[in-house]
Amino acid sequence: MTELLTATAVTKNYGGIVALSRADFSARAGEVHALLGENGAGKSTFIQILAGAVRPNGGTVTLGGQPYRPRHPQDARDAGISPVFQELSLIPDLTVEQNIWFRREPLSFARTVRARALREATEALFARHQFPAIRPDQELRRLTLADRQLVEIAKALSADPKVLILDEATSALGPRETEWLLGLSQGLARAGTLVIYISHRLGEVRQIADRITVFRNGATVAAYDTKEVDDETIIADMLGRRMDRLYPERKPTATDRVAVRLRGFGAGHRLADIDLDLREGEVLGVAGMQGHGQRELFQALFGIGGARGTVEIWGKAKTIRGPRQALTGRDGLALVPEDRRNHGLLLSRSVRENLTLSVISRFTRFGLTDPKREAKLVDEMIAALKIKAGTPEQLAGTLSGGNQQKVIFGKMLLTEARILLLYDPTRGIDVGTKGEIFQLMRDLAAKGYAILFYSSDLAELVHVADRVAVLRNGRLGAVLEGEDNSERQILRAAMIERAA
Amino acid sequence: MTMTTIDRPKPASSHPAPDAQPRPAATAGLRAALIDRASLIIPCVMLVALLALYGTLREGVFTIDELNLDTAAAMTLILAATGQTIVLLRGGIDLSIGGMISLGTVLAATRFGTDPAQATAWAIGIVAIGGLVGALNGVLITVLRLQPFLVTLATWSILSGAAMIILPTDGGSLPAGWMRFGFANWLGLSSSVWLLILLLAFWFWFKRTRLGISIRATGSNERSALLSGVSPLRINVATYALSGLFAALAALYLTTQTGAGSPTIGKDYILPSVAAAVIGGISLFGGRGGLVGTIIGAYILTIIGNLVFVLEISSYWQPIVSGIILLVAVLASSIAEKSARRSLT
Repeated sequence: MTELLTATAVTKNYGGIVALSRADFSARAGEVHALLGENGAGKSTFIQILAGAVRPNGGTVTLGGQPYRPRHPQDARDAGISPVFQELSLIPDLTVEQNIWFRREPLSFARTVRARALREATEALFARHQFPAIRPDQELRRLTLADRQLVEIAKALSADPKVLILDEATSALGPRETEWLLGLSQGLARAGTLVIYISHRLGEVRQIADRITVFRNGATVAAYDTKEVDDETIIADMLGRRMDRLYPERKPTATDRVAVRLRGFGAGHRLADIDLDLREGEVLGVAGMQGHGQRELFQALFGIGGARGTVEIWGKAKTIRGPRQALTGRDGLALVPEDRRNHGLLLSRSVRENLTLSVISRFTRFGLTDPKREAKLVDEMIAALKIKAGTPEQLAGTLSGGNQQKVIFGKMLLTEARILLLYDPTRGIDVGTKGEIFQLMRDLAAKGYAILFYSSDLAELVHVADRVAVLRNGRLGAVLEGEDNSERQILRAAMIERAA
Repeated sequence: MTMTTIDRPKPASSHPAPDAQPRPAATAGLRAALIDRASLIIPCVMLVALLALYGTLREGVFTIDELNLDTAAAMTLILAATGQTIVLLRGGIDLSIGGMISLGTVLAATRFGTDPAQATAWAIGIVAIGGLVGALNGVLITVLRLQPFLVTLATWSILSGAAMIILPTDGGSLPAGWMRFGFANWLGLSSSVWLLILLLAFWFWFKRTRLGISIRATGSNERSALLSGVSPLRINVATYALSGLFAALAALYLTTQTGAGSPTIGKDYILPSVAAAVIGGISLFGGRGGLVGTIIGAYILTIIGNLVFVLEISSYWQPIVSGIILLVAVLASSIAEKSARRSLT
């Protein structure tokens, strides 16, 4: 079979940061081709180049043997390349069907959109690909994230593309929709489409990809048939080293001093009767099935929504009224929120501004900021956390997911609060950065920070936390430590009623 | 006459709003459907309440004559606000309409003469100037990547100065036939009411065109729209050209009412055009709302003026009441929007 799409020595710089450096890629019609790499490896930049959203600084791309140089997303679509972006390309105030056919609507003689033809085309498209049920007349902003992702996929498919690019398309989907999309990808490939599949989930890649290309630091490091390679090799190629240890060494550093003491703590109707101590130097894990009160616990501690019961912070009874009070000073609390893109960061602001937003008073005198002191703090934090940004003025939104998370950590550390609330801090982050974040958590604990740590990945709790508090139905099911701190025991406590 | 005549904008409440696509209420129930359309229902309720108050204070409010009068009073604002609505849907703002309206009236008052052919040619010319100035706004905003607020502030100033040079003080003259436009009557409805009907017809056509959808989409999420193939230059040129064109039409209409040109009158329409749109449920962040709301907003502002007049209180009360109405409308739809979001999660 001949190659449909080839890219040779493609290069892209953003300011001082090299996103792609002489990357190569080659894929055939009729295959599912996985593109793997850590966050920041250049995958997103590469597909944005294919999609015409970004123009490379160098290198060549050919499509079907012809030079391919899209100057605009429309050129890519005209050439038969349809991307499904991780960052969705949909319009919140248009309906599902208006979104799918945006700029390609069937028009009447009066140049208006023919509503009935639009509906019929949408229903035919949904039927052809057996889409999960979505109402075509709903406004997009009313849809769940998963449904929006489906609309994005429908939009890409509506153009009958020769090349379909799926960028982390399953990360927002539930298990059934994921299964559907995997089947769909294979079906399309069988019918002659090239499906470029980007995912952090190796299991999915194994299931459907014929071949795999691995990017690292903006360059191509490996390409192989899926059948001929094992998971360890793939991970090693992604990281550039054998990953000997994802989890850091865990020395007990907890003291007897209690940072947060909860008695009869509760919030809303989801959380009640929590008696829990978080000690200085301790990483206290929180586990629970989705919706069993962990989100409420973190929010109530941070002052979002009301709380019941008593809270003692560093031995003093406190009423936490809102984020501002929770943040204040060395006795305060700092939170890494669940939705970092929307709640943790100002994406259109610089790394510097994001870092210092909550702590402007630390280098303000007489109401004026002192730029030198600010710059010093920012530089120290960027260096300490190894944040990969060209300059402190780079916009937060242009950083990779892992680096954005580091900025949030930096912002939190600058508040000088020594009680840290980490809500799923490694979600959607590559393995390398995960390792760095775990090491950072243990280092902070050793310095006397008290850390409350929720993760949806039980293995992380088992390996990083000193103790794990398991929530079930909004109550404390068990606190596990030592031998009992295992995935098995956590699941038992999370799912099964306590005997007696 | 009955309520139905004067409540001309009212059918909008039973229609889906231009922004609210038909969304069957089956799943979320009546409450959700009401919240969805709150940004249009609220101004409708306000207008009805104001009319009811006005009706108790004066005879003959619910007649065709009153409709003709109020529409004539509101029409300049409605035309100016039509352009503003299109710009706001795009997520921008157009302050230059103030300068364009002034320039339009002074050009008409000094260049029309008495020859109907000459007047017609200049009327077309003024509309063309409006479109061109707007297109220039669009080019500057796109190419220089400047804030619409700043660019149109600058062009407003330039156009106002040009108007001053042409006619330093209020005056000039217009052909007698031109000024009779407002007195034309057909089937009992004045020319202004027919103009309004024409404007609504334009809107229901325009919002279903690809350009209309693209303007709203770009205002809703610019990056997504660009990724989907919308050209930023074309969309901005079209948006601001339409706004300038409607400002020119507003100027021409105004001269049929005043019979004179004024180099300063335009500024009286800048913020009211935004206020009418916002009262009518247009989001300043773009993407949401429609012309029906704006027209209701313009009527509300006009009726407030009438009320101040019949109550025989100082006319300074008019902007105060307008401001309060604006606050209430914005607050009410923001509350509705928040509860809509809450019912989602």
